[in-house]
Amino acid sequence: MDNVESLLHGFTIAITLPHLALMLVGVLLGILVGVLPGLGAPNGVSLLLPLTFGMQPVSAIILLSSMYWGALFGGSVTSILFNIPGEPSSVATTFDGYPMARDGRATTALATAFGSAAFGALVGVVLITFLAAWVAQVALAFGPPEYFAVYFLAFASFVGMGGAPPPKTVVSLAAGFAIAAIGIDTVSGSVRLTMGIDELVKGISFVVAVMGLFGIGELLLAVEEEVQAKAVSSRIDWREVFRTLLDLPRHGWALLRSAAIGCWMGITPGGPTAASFMSYGIAKRFSPRSARFGQGEAEGIISPETADHAAGTSALLPMLSLGIPGSATAAVMMGGLMIWGLNPGPMLFIEQKDFVWGLIASMYVGNIVAVVLVLLTVPIFAALMRIPFFIIAPLIFIICTVGAYSVSNSYLDVVLMLGFGIVGYLFKKLSYPLAPLVLAIVIGDKAEDAFRQAMLMSKGSLAIFFSNALVTTLVLAGIALLLLPLVLQVAHMHTTTKPVLD
Amino acid sequence: MISRRALELTTATLTGTFGAAVVISSIENGIGWSTAGVDAGTFPFLTGLIVLVASLWNLGRGWLENGAAAVSSSDLRHLIALFAPAAVFVAAIPLIGVYVASGCYILGTLALLHRFSLPRSLLIAAATPVALYLVFERMFQVSLPHGALADVLGF
Repeated sequence: MDNVESLLHGFTIAITLPHLALMLVGVLLGILVGVLPGLGAPNGVSLLLPLTFGMQPVSAIILLSSMYWGALFGGSVTSILFNIPGEPSSVATTFDGYPMARDGRATTALATAFGSAAFGALVGVVLITFLAAWVAQVALAFGPPEYFAVYFLAFASFVGMGGAPPPKTVVSLAAGFAIAAIGIDTVSGSVRLTMGIDELVKGISFVVAVMGLFGIGELLLAVEEEVQAKAVSSRIDWREVFRTLLDLPRHGWALLRSAAIGCWMGITPGGPTAASFMSYGIAKRFSPRSARFGQGEAEGIISPETADHAAGTSALLPMLSLGIPGSATAAVMMGGLMIWGLNPGPMLFIEQKDFVWGLIASMYVGNIVAVVLVLLTVPIFAALMRIPFFIIAPLIFIICTVGAYSVSNSYLDVVLMLGFGIVGYLFKKLSYPLAPLVLAIVIGDKAEDAFRQAMLMSKGSLAIFFSNALVTTLVLAGIALLLLPLVLQVAHMHTTTKPVLD
Repeated sequence: MISRRALELTTATLTGTFGAAVVISSIENGIGWSTAGVDAGTFPFLTGLIVLVASLWNLGRGWLENGAAAVSSSDLRHLIALFAPAAVFVAAIPLIGVYVASGCYILGTLALLHRFSLPRSLLIAAATPVALYLVFERMFQVSLPHGALADVLGF
């Protein structure tokens, strides 16, 4: 088993004192951004990114990914204790988590959430361990047309399966590509889309966009909802924790099903949020205890949590082996990889073995660290939530401002961040999805390069996207996904108009 | 009060204008196929066009929306109370620098806007720039803007 050997080698990299310390710091910071409204995993990771430029890539990715695990866990804490989702992906956890905690079973709710989250993450990492290298192997044979087709498929799946109104998803995506094109064109050297602002020649950093879209946008939404933290008791009863964890295997089927949904949604870029909602919906529909959902049913916590973490983890699979991130946070990490001088994609598995397997091994360790730390720190972070929002909000705003500035010491970036903040607010308010926008900003250049190289190969003929079985299948699958919402709508109209016709 | 319809129309107009600007700007870069390959403007031109068309669709859909409130007047007050001081803070940075601006911003928001106790507001307002200085300038050696004021004072 080649993978197991590589993984064991990865452990020797991940389990060193400095890296364990980084995991600790990353997870704690992650829980912090996960708990605080307005700060989430994508902008938490982007805030930290400029500070990693001086680090070894493997240390930097361990720090950032640990922060991601921490944020995923932190988001569930506030969902359960305060009925306030700290992350969009933990919204579905509030449905049954908060009622259970309100009934005086806060420890049970938290332990159920963390236990199933850890299981979801574990399935995701195991999947990466055994599949990522193989996918990369396959992808090595890809040429520019195949790459463009994979990008096309990824983006089509946002439109077809993302759940948001398709024209809005399309606006989000295409606007992201246009933003990615701003600045110097790497192929011809000509300056594009600067609209007369000279400073834009360097382009717009995805960090600035994320800081505005997620950070400022989220703050504006939170202030509107007037977050009122009315906590239930956050005391942890350790015996209850172990009892709950030992009890989890009873829900084996729900765990496996939710992990499968999560992995699928993570690899195809549906993302953790869509995964957790879908998993909750399916659990509610098929559970014999369906009527108890929404009143503190254990499976109502297990399903979204397992899927959330399985999706969050497996979102790194396509990022590592194909160079296509499966979630907004994975997109930010991939942006980091490119800044550190690595080339995300199949070559990573050949050229950067230590990096890849160090990261994968750290995912096993990091998630264990995260579960332990989150349980230990629940009371501290719960206390943090009692600080009034009007104090937290300006502090988060200052952090985002400084974060945007520190990307390239540019004041224009701060102004841009403010603009992105307004866009983020409007988009969230009107259910335009933000993840495709960020993904497109990060991989826009790569997608464009693939397109242009493919066109060069074919001397300008689009027929190259139908030149062999693989690329044709990918393109056709993409087109099918694009048409899916339309087909569903027609089918829906057909079924709903039928009674009238009768 | 802002209706959902108004919000949808504004956003669609915003994205549509962006799309149109991208289309026009890309045409200047040249679109289509030349001996050197795909021209620099082609890809942005296509994305701009897609943004424009989808925005027009959203505009149409938004126009059909009913006038139900999306942002109530109390929501709007909250939004302005958060955004206006924040925008002033950003505008003040080139002039007085991040450190002074962040202190004033915190003090103003807490003490004046939310009538939080003055000693505590002062404490938080003083601690923020100190923390920023220690983390960024000391630990990570990122220089934050000191502003025109600092230049005058000779820092």
